[in-house]
Amino acid sequence: MAGLLLSPTEKVFIVHGVQDDHRSDGRTNIDYRPMELETNVVSHATGSSRLRLANTDILVGVKTEIDVPTPEKPDLGKIEFYVDCSANAAPQFEGRGGEQLAIGIAKLMQAAYHSSDAFDLKQLCIFEGKQCWKIYVDILILECGGNLCDAVSMAVKAALFNTKLPSVKAALMDGGNIDLQLSDDPYDAKSLDIGTAPLLVTLCKIGDKCVVDPSAEEESCSVISVVVGVTGNPSSYSTEENVSDSAKESKFTTIEMVGSGSVAPKTLKDAMNQGMVAAKLLDKALGEALLRERQETQVKTKKHSYGFLR
Amino acid sequence: MTSHVKIRLASERVNHSVPTNRELPRFYTPGEVVTGMEDFMRGHGTYASDDCLKASVAGVMQKVNKLICVRPLKNRYVGEIGDVVVGRVLEVQQRRWKVETNSRLDSVLQLSSVNLPGGELRRRSAEDEQMMRKHLQEGDLISAEVQSVFSDGSLSLHTRSLKYGKLSQGILMKVFPSLIKRRKNHFHNLPCGISVIIGNNGYIWISPPEQNNLVEEEKDEIVNVEVQCISRSDRETMARVRNCIAALVASKMLLDDTSIMFAYEESLKYDNVKELLDPEAMLDVAFLTQHRINNVLEE
Amino acid sequence: MPLDYRRFNGPEDSIPYKRFTKDFVKSYDELFKELLDDKGVRKDGRALSEARSMCMFFARADMVSQAKGSAYVELRKTKVVCSVFDPREIPHQNEFSELGQIFCEVKFAPFSCPRRRRPHAPDAEEKALSVALRKALEPSVCRHMFPNYQVDVFIYILENDGACLSAAINAAGLALADAAVPMYDIITSCTVAVIGDKMFVDPTEAEEYLATTNPDTPINHGLLTLSTLSELKQISDFIQIGSMDVVSVTNAMEVLEKECEKLVPLVQKVLVANVLKCFAQRKRLEEEANEREKALNSKMEEWKKLLNAG
Repeated sequence: MAGLLLSPTEKVFIVHGVQDDHRSDGRTNIDYRPMELETNVVSHATGSSRLRLANTDILVGVKTEIDVPTPEKPDLGKIEFYVDCSANAAPQFEGRGGEQLAIGIAKLMQAAYHSSDAFDLKQLCIFEGKQCWKIYVDILILECGGNLCDAVSMAVKAALFNTKLPSVKAALMDGGNIDLQLSDDPYDAKSLDIGTAPLLVTLCKIGDKCVVDPSAEEESCSVISVVVGVTGNPSSYSTEENVSDSAKESKFTTIEMVGSGSVAPKTLKDAMNQGMVAAKLLDKALGEALLRERQETQVKTKKHSYGFLR
Repeated sequence: MTSHVKIRLASERVNHSVPTNRELPRFYTPGEVVTGMEDFMRGHGTYASDDCLKASVAGVMQKVNKLICVRPLKNRYVGEIGDVVVGRVLEVQQRRWKVETNSRLDSVLQLSSVNLPGGELRRRSAEDEQMMRKHLQEGDLISAEVQSVFSDGSLSLHTRSLKYGKLSQGILMKVFPSLIKRRKNHFHNLPCGISVIIGNNGYIWISPPEQNNLVEEEKDEIVNVEVQCISRSDRETMARVRNCIAALVASKMLLDDTSIMFAYEESLKYDNVKELLDPEAMLDVAFLTQHRINNVLEE
Repeated sequence: MPLDYRRFNGPEDSIPYKRFTKDFVKSYDELFKELLDDKGVRKDGRALSEARSMCMFFARADMVSQAKGSAYVELRKTKVVCSVFDPREIPHQNEFSELGQIFCEVKFAPFSCPRRRRPHAPDAEEKALSVALRKALEPSVCRHMFPNYQVDVFIYILENDGACLSAAINAAGLALADAAVPMYDIITSCTVAVIGDKMFVDPTEAEEYLATTNPDTPINHGLLTLSTLSELKQISDFIQIGSMDVVSVTNAMEVLEKECEKLVPLVQKVLVANVLKCFAQRKRLEEEANEREKALNSKMEEWKKLLNAG
């Protein structure tokens, strides 16, 4: 984010702080600020979530529609990401101001979800070669306080966790066309398998070191950051004790550099390793939070939704 | 907070409000009739219509003799002569600097109202005009005093005292100006060993103690001070003070040196500074601080 | 996909005839077997770790006569033209920018890809390539030398047979040097495709395609592009997509770094050859001019003699 003016001495203070592994608010280089999460906040979406990370506020809505699979991949569904930088977040997003940023984030998400190790599109298949689910993930940036990528990826994963596809009761062939019958029962639906869905971690290079979860001030001290997408661990997202999948190793699904600077090879390698560690912690915490929320909703018959009111 | 990541649910949200024993004042909303026109004077946040005085902002009424004002809860800074402010230089112009001070209009720092290096009192020469950017450049932070208020409400600042001037390393916090308690002194060297400038405009500057504001000294030395590394312990104290202020602000408590110091002392039970980022800890600190303030007031 | 309505767009739902050939229905394993023969030699006769640039790096600078600088890079069937134009003031900008901007546009020729005809309107991939190219070039150019100005870099991909981003970066680096845009260092770039434990250096389109398709078993797969500033030992851009573990990414990075290093002398050679050529050309022109002047002078002498005699 541009537009934040800092004096050279303030920058020196921040850079030295990072060098010392003690940032302005007392965090170390691998600490995240506390986050707040709520799912199922938008009633017209199939799944939704809202994530607040300090001042950054992300709302994600998932819509599912039915589409025809591409002939190259007849057994796969589709997933698409759209980002909207609301002018509520910052006045400079007005009109087409936030477009570049939005396209950049959407592209990163698309790349991170590209591999089947990250998100298996086969689960979206209804009838091979004829019909599949298409998932639209709409990401709304309500407030912008640094570290957008990480917040977006977590909100998306939470929203997909919350998404339930109605089960298909029957598919009738009608002269080459498919006639689907979907279940009317809102509880007769299957959740998506999103345990491996990737999380993005931004590593902001300040001085010679990299920090996670940079604040807006810290972002303006850095010319380059490395964004890594790392697959999640499915065992954090299910209550069942099937340990068979837990051995799955975390993998990079996307790596990209953001910003106009360059890095030394060693810094890049360190950043990647640091990102891997951070992503694992993040994934575990997100899984715990989501399961806790699910449990809460099950205990209380009617869920008290907090939404946007405080 | 021992782990590096903490995600809470919306249902676990912390309500930051701290109970006080003060009575809640009456609130006015825009357009609401405050009083009849007869022998009252119209102040800020009000307008006259139909022989009545109506509020133009949402807030509480303040009455000074005959003058009636409505003070909004979240306003931008309205400057008064003699206020201490912290501001950021936005632009270098002809013989003056534009300074952002959280007020409605940008403030002005005239070249003639700064102490120039090298001498106490001397004429501003053409060289000085050309050297302006060497003295203060875009992005630099300064502490200053309000010299006068122009008719449009914009402020004219001055730094003609040794305590004012360019700020070196430290942390800037932005809070609502209405949370700042007006005091005689706004420069504090806290007993915990760091100094704080509580600007009337809601900008708070936290800096290490040995900070050197004396611009009169030799240039080389100043540059040295600016890039010097700050010790780990000072850094921790600064971060703690910063987080304490954030906790007080989250609970909308008035800020002055006493409340900050109380909060700092209460926060010491949390060993790790970053634990104070947790909403529960923030509330706890704010609550205990309020308690102590109440005790002091009762005495 | 947005269509360009100013053009005649042809029937929208036309499909390439290859869909009906046998190749189209081949499974992943069959395709994978095709890439390598029994001895581990690739289809076009290269070893796994052999880049096309090594056996057949064909590049020239000064390809488009009207541009300030231009270059052409050919990696067997990947053919890329790049032209760079003079710095000009940034249009539609009211703020002063201290650093010069680089404007990049990557365009595929409609007939450049083996699978589908490319539409004329810029699609997501072209935009993504443009952004990646700009990011890679930014650290290599002395942007403070032309504040508030922008340099235009246009890439046209005539034929795409894999590794088009690294070809584009190499071409752009050559063209920028040819245009005498001040640069910190020579920029070189290379791509590697990873499938399982095999690394295809400088992959062809078929190899790239397979590396980005999802395999049936969870093995490492992915595509990595790295660009370096060799003298400064800096990485100006690094992009990874797919699903790879840490070891695999690190290994691929090392391979890429070495390949980029190998390209530097080749690029230098092209640049020197270009300068020598220009120099020779100028010398020739000078000589011709001298001769002509001599001839004219001698003729004048003759006339003078004639006049005097007359």
